[in-house]
Amino acid sequence: MSRRSLPIDALDRTVAALSDDALAEARHAALAQFKKRGFPTTRNENWKYTDLSKVIELSRRSLQTSTDAERPDIDRIRELQASIDAGWLVIANGKLNRDLSTTLDEDGIEVSPLRLDSKDLRLEDPLADLNLALLKQGLSLRIAANRSTDRPIALLIVDSAGTAPVLSQVRIDIELQANAEIRFIEYHVSAGDDEHYSNAHINVIARPNARADYLRFQDRALHHSQTARLNVQLETDSEISYCGIDLGGRLTRNDLKIDILGQGASAIFDGLYIAAEGQHVDNHTRVDHRVGPAVSAQEYRGILNGHCRAIWNGKAIVHAGADGTDAQQANHNLLLSEHAEIDAKPELEIYADEVKCAHGTTVGQLDEQALFYLRSRGLDRDRAKRVLTRAFATSIVNKSPIPELHDLIGNAVEQRLRELATGVPQ
Amino acid sequence: MLEIKNLKARIGDADILNGVSLSVNAGEVHAIMGPNGSGKSTLAQVIAGHADYEVTEGTVSYNGHDLLALEPEERAREGIFLGFQYPVEIPGVNNAYLLKAAVNAKREHQGLEEIDAFEFLKLAREKMAVLGMDPKFLNRGVNEGFSGGEKKRNEILQMAMLEPSLAILDETDSGLDIDALKAVAGGVNALRDPERAIVLVTHYQRLLDYVEPDFVHVLSEGRIARSGDKSLALELEEKGYEWVREAANA
Amino acid sequence: MSTDPENIEDLVNRRYEHGFVTDIDTESLPPGLDEDVIRAISMRKNEPEFMLEWRLQAYRQWLEMIEPEWAHVHYPPIDYNAISYFSAPKSDKDRPKSLDEVDPKLLETYDKLGIPLHERARLAGVAVDAVFDSVSVATTFKEKLSEAGVIFCSFSEAVNKHPELVKKYLGSVVPRRDNYFASLNSAVFSDGSFVYVPKGVRCPMELSTYFRINAANTGQFERTLIVADEGSYVSYLEGCTAPMRDENQLHAAVVELVAMKDAEIKYSTVQNWYPGDENGVGGIYNFVTKRGDCRGANSKISWTQVETGSAITWKYPSCILRGDNSTGEFYSVAVVNNYQQADTGTKMIHIGRNTSSTIVSKGISAGNAQNAYRGLVRVMPQANGARNHTQCDSLLIGKSCGAHTFPYMEIKNPSAKVEHEATTSKISADQLFYCRQRGISEEDAVNMIVNGFCKEVFNELPMEFAVEAQALLNVSLEGAVG
Repeated sequence: MSRRSLPIDALDRTVAALSDDALAEARHAALAQFKKRGFPTTRNENWKYTDLSKVIELSRRSLQTSTDAERPDIDRIRELQASIDAGWLVIANGKLNRDLSTTLDEDGIEVSPLRLDSKDLRLEDPLADLNLALLKQGLSLRIAANRSTDRPIALLIVDSAGTAPVLSQVRIDIELQANAEIRFIEYHVSAGDDEHYSNAHINVIARPNARADYLRFQDRALHHSQTARLNVQLETDSEISYCGIDLGGRLTRNDLKIDILGQGASAIFDGLYIAAEGQHVDNHTRVDHRVGPAVSAQEYRGILNGHCRAIWNGKAIVHAGADGTDAQQANHNLLLSEHAEIDAKPELEIYADEVKCAHGTTVGQLDEQALFYLRSRGLDRDRAKRVLTRAFATSIVNKSPIPELHDLIGNAVEQRLRELATGVPQ
Repeated sequence: MLEIKNLKARIGDADILNGVSLSVNAGEVHAIMGPNGSGKSTLAQVIAGHADYEVTEGTVSYNGHDLLALEPEERAREGIFLGFQYPVEIPGVNNAYLLKAAVNAKREHQGLEEIDAFEFLKLAREKMAVLGMDPKFLNRGVNEGFSGGEKKRNEILQMAMLEPSLAILDETDSGLDIDALKAVAGGVNALRDPERAIVLVTHYQRLLDYVEPDFVHVLSEGRIARSGDKSLALELEEKGYEWVREAANA
Repeated sequence: MSTDPENIEDLVNRRYEHGFVTDIDTESLPPGLDEDVIRAISMRKNEPEFMLEWRLQAYRQWLEMIEPEWAHVHYPPIDYNAISYFSAPKSDKDRPKSLDEVDPKLLETYDKLGIPLHERARLAGVAVDAVFDSVSVATTFKEKLSEAGVIFCSFSEAVNKHPELVKKYLGSVVPRRDNYFASLNSAVFSDGSFVYVPKGVRCPMELSTYFRINAANTGQFERTLIVADEGSYVSYLEGCTAPMRDENQLHAAVVELVAMKDAEIKYSTVQNWYPGDENGVGGIYNFVTKRGDCRGANSKISWTQVETGSAITWKYPSCILRGDNSTGEFYSVAVVNNYQQADTGTKMIHIGRNTSSTIVSKGISAGNAQNAYRGLVRVMPQANGARNHTQCDSLLIGKSCGAHTFPYMEIKNPSAKVEHEATTSKISADQLFYCRQRGISEEDAVNMIVNGFCKEVFNELPMEFAVEAQALLNVSLEGAVG
């Protein structure tokens, strides 16, 4: 058995044990593909800096023990739900938890079991194969045309394993019909310090003039690893405003892919990653400008301390004919430890000439002039550093799209920065 | 020198000029005034040959020739100079280089030798002194990082060097403080000559205090609504553009 | 009015002016590559045993390697057995001692290329080591250089006269098995230049070599080694033009630079190999490995390149900043038109303390061409105080070309400051109209604007090269006034 695949008999057994529902055929097709390709390796350019071998090892153990996971810590979830006014979908260990989910029976929101059409089965990402092959339950959300609401929909992805390592899959497809608006929160937590590998796959389609505000917040335990893919398709005049914040997790890999299919579309996406001892966080973004005029702009920021590594790879592709494209990328990193490493790669591939494209990347330390300024106002050096580090992070938090969560996230970020500064583990 | 007859022009689907007729003779200074969107800048751009504007009707003759048949650079070499409202930045290309290339393009067209480098520099420095410009200006990129005032002075410097027969200055006074305005006006007055015509396109009467026009035209909705002498500018200042529009529609 | 893109494209569609073939008989090996061919090359060059052994080891390593595919370029598979690995002008056996002895036809070739060898050499004070095909045929100013103690000779000569230096430094920057094309070069390299500047010597003149390819089906495998000993300085110029050919020709050169403590090497290139015709037929494959090692403290290596030719360019002149306080620079203009493809950039590897690097890359794409910047800035954990600034700008002319940037930053030290900026733009209609309103033709205006775009890089070239570079872009001289 190759290092990057999983034991075939255990895979077969696991897939066979899943319910014989409408997804069965798709699962088997995906399984066959996954068996052929296995996990991506560091020889793949997109995975050059992220080695999945520990995740593979965990998956292997999970498949071989295949115990059913324990129930998540309900009190903690209820507490969280009480603090955020939203309609809740709770996915615990890969399954919709009906007790904890609130009914989303408002007009115009339809939640149903995942529906797949044939094109979903041609997957370019082996992790999508794995996701579909082992998917217990998937969901489709449809937001009806012209519907808008202030109250966000919160997807809580919570994982808890009990004693044995667990591998879980999440798959949600969201369709925003014409002129629909949605405010969406994707919230990741762990309910336990056990080992877990979560592989999430979310697709968003925004039909003409639809708009999505999308906040992804990940504050997992240090023994959790996750790979997550978010695919977004934007049709004419549709918009997405996205922010992804990663504070926890041992290994985190996010793939954000945005396809601009319609003129006048706009994609704003930002991210913040904070990594300390033992953490590895990898953000890959890709935006395909297939038509123009359209706008994309991204800003990712990272703060690293201790033995840790962060990767940011932002790619903008302007296809032939996508005139009027405006694509901007920015990535800034604060490196606070001699044991930390950042690998940044801002890529542009441009096949049209009526474009405005730019990227800027920096790796460095806090601005000495700003430090001096604060010290001249009486702050000691450590305090001044903390103030500036926090400001570096909060500039992303403050432009994230769900304003009522700014305090909650800001506090979590501050807490994480304190741990980072003092070296106390999470 | 310049004879415009019933000129109509559009950009995209928008008709901007709806039948302008204007006659400018050597030695004259004309001021073209009018509210925003009346077509002043369009008229200047059409005379210079900007490709975005499509002439749909009418004629423009310049020294008896069909001006509209010429490429922009041919018009320039024939002595037409446009001082731009928003001069573009050309990074990395230095001012002296552009200026010298422009002077030589014209000289070649006239069958003259290229200007000697030393002579060119001497001439440029003289003109800059008149305009109160720092000689270091010559080594900077064309309009690169220039302030609004610097850009406008640079336009006047180019005009002074190229010695056009017909100079059209598009809002050259906008955004200038009083010192810069005086310097620019001084540059224009220095060029007044019986052989040369000057057309000032301006929104305000202010510049005309320093450069006295022989004729004033008021453009409204793509037509010349009124023409007169310099007192028209003062009257306009007092009564506003609404007055012209009402008078035109009456 | 003709400011539309088609016309702008016409302006950059200039025919290659250096396309002609000189009819000189060449004494070539038959096509094909095996150990016997390598022995034959080594024997013809009267090489010592160590050199042959080195070549053979490289060949054996090459056989086990695979051709890289990661670059943003596409070409049909190369048949390495259809290439002839050695060719030399017939006059090889009795090399000319002076220009008078050089085959007049050859001199005429240089004249046609606009390189009046003796005149340029005399006027500009440049020593010229002209490589025609693979063998040096003329070297001037040797005496003046040897007075200063500078060794500047063909690589073949160095192998025989200074084997200890060659042995010590050859492959010390670009190892034999560094990459597929470098390995191939190590096995079959024909000739090239060797420079050694002793301690404390400032080389009294710019050193220059002109390369060309002139025999059908002849691969070019140049090998250049420049060593600047402690406290020395040398500026080296390399320029290429190539006759028009239909067959694709492979050029896989290797350049190694070594800068010891306090030494500085400035390496400038104007590359104008035949790019192929308007339909992408023919042209040179330019797969080059260039690397400099800032071995000593306070050393500096500066690469400047103007790449206008070749059907495919695959080239990453790099700096290993080993010495404390060492400096690496990379200034590049890459112009592609028609069906040309370029994947070029640099690597800056920061190892020593307080090392700094600067990267300025200007890419211009026209026609159906593809231009990629690929760069790596790596700061090692021990490289305290490393600094890098990268500026990477692309200019697009026309709708069918591409401009791409693939910058890698791998930073493992918290005191590093690394900044990368990139922009993409086109020549604006406003800029063109402005110039034309001043009486400047559209063609001149485009040249002027492109030249302005490249100015930061041209400023780094030695004067006479800057002139040539601008001529290559068909741009009038800027900055002569004022």
